[in-house]
Amino acid sequence: MNFWDRCRNKLKKLNRTENPSPEKEVKVLEKKLEENLIKIKDELGDSSDLVIRYFELGTESPAAAAVVYISGLVDDKKANKFIEESLKVEDPLKEAAYSQKDMFDIVRDRALSINNIVMVSDWNKLLLTILNGETVILLDGYNEAITANTKGGQTREITEPSTQLVIRGPKVAFTESIGTNVALIRRYIKSPNLRVETQQVGSITKTDTALVYIKGTVNEKVLREVKKRLNKIEVEDIIESGNIEEYIQDNAFTPFPTIYNSERPDAVVGNLLEGRIAVIVDGTPFVLVVPALFIQFFQSPSDYYQNYLIGSFLRMLRIISYIISILTPSLYIALTTFHPQMIPTSLLISLAAQHEGVPFPVIVEVLIMEFTFEIIREAGLRMPRAVGQAVSIVGALVLGQAAVQAGIVSPTTIIVVAFTGIASFATPSYNIAVAPRLLRFLMMILAGGFGLYGVFVALFILIAHLTSLRSFGIPYLSPFAPFIPADFKDTIIRRPLWSLDSRPRLVSQQNNKRQARGNKPSPSDNHNGN
Amino acid sequence: MEKAKINGWQLFVLIILFELGTAIVINPGLSAEKDAWLAVLFGLIIGVIFFLVYYVLYRFYPECTLIGYSKEILGKYAGFMAGVLYFIYFLYIGVRDLRDFGELLTASTYNYTPLFIINAIMILTVAFVLHYGIEVLARTGEIFFLLLILVGAIGTTMVFVSGEMDFSQLLPVLENGWGPVLSTVPLTYTFPFGEMIVFTMLLPYLNRPQLGIRAAWPAMGLSGMLLIWVVIMDITILGVYIAARSTFPMLAAIGLVDITGLFQRLDVAVVMTLMIGGFFKIAIFFYAALISAAELFKVPNYKKLIIPFSIVILISSMAVASSSVDHNSEGLDMVTYYISLPVQMGIPIILLITALIRRRLSPR
Repeated sequence: MNFWDRCRNKLKKLNRTENPSPEKEVKVLEKKLEENLIKIKDELGDSSDLVIRYFELGTESPAAAAVVYISGLVDDKKANKFIEESLKVEDPLKEAAYSQKDMFDIVRDRALSINNIVMVSDWNKLLLTILNGETVILLDGYNEAITANTKGGQTREITEPSTQLVIRGPKVAFTESIGTNVALIRRYIKSPNLRVETQQVGSITKTDTALVYIKGTVNEKVLREVKKRLNKIEVEDIIESGNIEEYIQDNAFTPFPTIYNSERPDAVVGNLLEGRIAVIVDGTPFVLVVPALFIQFFQSPSDYYQNYLIGSFLRMLRIISYIISILTPSLYIALTTFHPQMIPTSLLISLAAQHEGVPFPVIVEVLIMEFTFEIIREAGLRMPRAVGQAVSIVGALVLGQAAVQAGIVSPTTIIVVAFTGIASFATPSYNIAVAPRLLRFLMMILAGGFGLYGVFVALFILIAHLTSLRSFGIPYLSPFAPFIPADFKDTIIRRPLWSLDSRPRLVSQQNNKRQARGNKPSPSDNHNGN
Repeated sequence: MEKAKINGWQLFVLIILFELGTAIVINPGLSAEKDAWLAVLFGLIIGVIFFLVYYVLYRFYPECTLIGYSKEILGKYAGFMAGVLYFIYFLYIGVRDLRDFGELLTASTYNYTPLFIINAIMILTVAFVLHYGIEVLARTGEIFFLLLILVGAIGTTMVFVSGEMDFSQLLPVLENGWGPVLSTVPLTYTFPFGEMIVFTMLLPYLNRPQLGIRAAWPAMGLSGMLLIWVVIMDITILGVYIAARSTFPMLAAIGLVDITGLFQRLDVAVVMTLMIGGFFKIAIFFYAALISAAELFKVPNYKKLIIPFSIVILISSMAVASSSVDHNSEGLDMVTYYISLPVQMGIPIILLITALIRRRLSPR
């Protein structure tokens, strides 16, 4: 560990000495319009989607003006209206003479009346605003530009979520546009305390990243930490929130996610209300939520929309199926190979009979089948939808049944592998459900080598690793380890909503109370007597 | 010392896992035959009283481990010598526990696996967990404690339902008088209750010092009760003669449980208990040896010692005895009377008396 840190530090130092960060000198716009336009064209490489429109203001002694924007990024209607309203005036010069006002001021005032505008005189900033989808008005003789937010262009409609499906609950998913996503959250939380802080990450992509939290509920320490880590990112490109996730997570060497993600606004809003922080990244519908606890990945938004008894039962089912998906194949190997005395006799006889014609030891059998299963799974996922079904037919029928008939594997092995596979689909969060796929192989090998002892050793290592993880300083396995009984309300079971009266203690360290006491429904006294 | 804190619950859990450790499988009280439970009870009582000595010493020097305050109390040289003695003791008992664990596992289920392999895997796992530090060990303990409780509850229920227990086996009480009981008490005290001396190394990590006794006494009490329960279970299921003569009475007893052919061969539960308990017992002794060595020889980061110590413990665990019988007889006689009793009772009392005199003499 120390060794890697040292290496990393050395690399950092090397990088710093090789290319010292360029001093940021503020280049100001020129006064002449022509020069400005040439420079813009130069800098943007005269791209075909760059639109420059010339105008002449006034009739007597016309003043030149230009509008610059990038065609695909702006909303045409908005841009045209903005241009028309602010430039197509009858005779601004006359008006200027009449009111003794500067022409620039007139245009600015008119622009202001239809859009919120920003004055830019810094050259780099100007380029950035153009690339961001804003419309820029330049006037000859002035070294300032009027920029208006006319962002638009084609974005995807709001659709139903394709992951984390629920039977009951809102059918809205985030989209790729950060503005829409923030608005979706705002629609749920109509509180002035909902804060949105935007910043750009990535020196080339300049990806908009918004930090959303509720002031007063959020854990300030975690918030500071998130900001610190976001500011520390110095990379060229951020394409998806997964990239941000990898740069800000606590422990890089782990198969378990320490940052939650969701494309469901209701899930994110629920987390915000518990005192967590959302990181929305432009260009992806998947919103990050920190800090994330292990147990959080087993909670589905629908747990809160349906009967709490059913919700609790389903939650327990998910956790059990997660444990099954990690342990089953290795326990099967350990018991059949090392501890046959622990299997009831009649079952053992039938197992032995099935295994009779199979030439491989159980460990090889299971490894082959697990590996095949993983391939079928991945192939089914990547194939075009029409072909995907063919893959599953080939996988299930041909490989499964034919392998048994050919005497390559025993039927029990197929059952074990299939059961494990199905169990791993029961987890609501994809990114924690993939961890066992990797760990399973490790456990199988240890089980094949040392039986139950190997499984136990793997469990010790696994649990010690899990307890050592932290998500932004919050222990990953809390409230189990460290043991916080007060936070058990909403973990393995979900207690009724009226008894969920406090937020998780470690996540939100202030303002823990969520609701008044006495929300438990009961028939009013009037009805009791009759 | 690393900058870490454990809370009262974590201490409680660690003590229970430690006390049950290997003792639950090889019950030391059984040489008192029918009155084994009495022997364990007396061992528990003495252990609880003696923990008070460790606790008072800790409250006198709340910032120090046993190594630290023995230096404060006995002076530079004598204190250092006492420290070295304890360091070797922790290491030695860690070695013995690893050997115990390996012997138990090879004898119970892994008849064909070399002892060395089993020990090597165990010490590697312990080393891996310890490199995360005491906090992670404590939290891992919390998770496995839940598992242990679950397994224990299921096992006990099964035993009850199976109806194998015959409580008349325990009668008459004190058939042979007090003699056998009293001669067994040193054994039941030193193993496992007297081994609480190792927690003097962990107490300074507590977030609130007064939790030391509030967590430790209930934990010792509960684990003592569990050990008594297990000994009673062994005797009532197997009968006193088989129980006293079998190497792993609990394994044999649980193995007899058979409920309508559906729930049988529950010895997997015993092996699980053994693995969990053994792991924590070895880990705690290993950790105590690590931090005492780091403190004695002024090593700034104890984590650097983990790998060399693992090798030492592994090789010593192979070399410490020529066979299982040799190992066990050494543990019963030599270790109990010549190592455990002086280290667990003698030196702490000397320390306490000297500390009290020093406090009386020193002007306030």
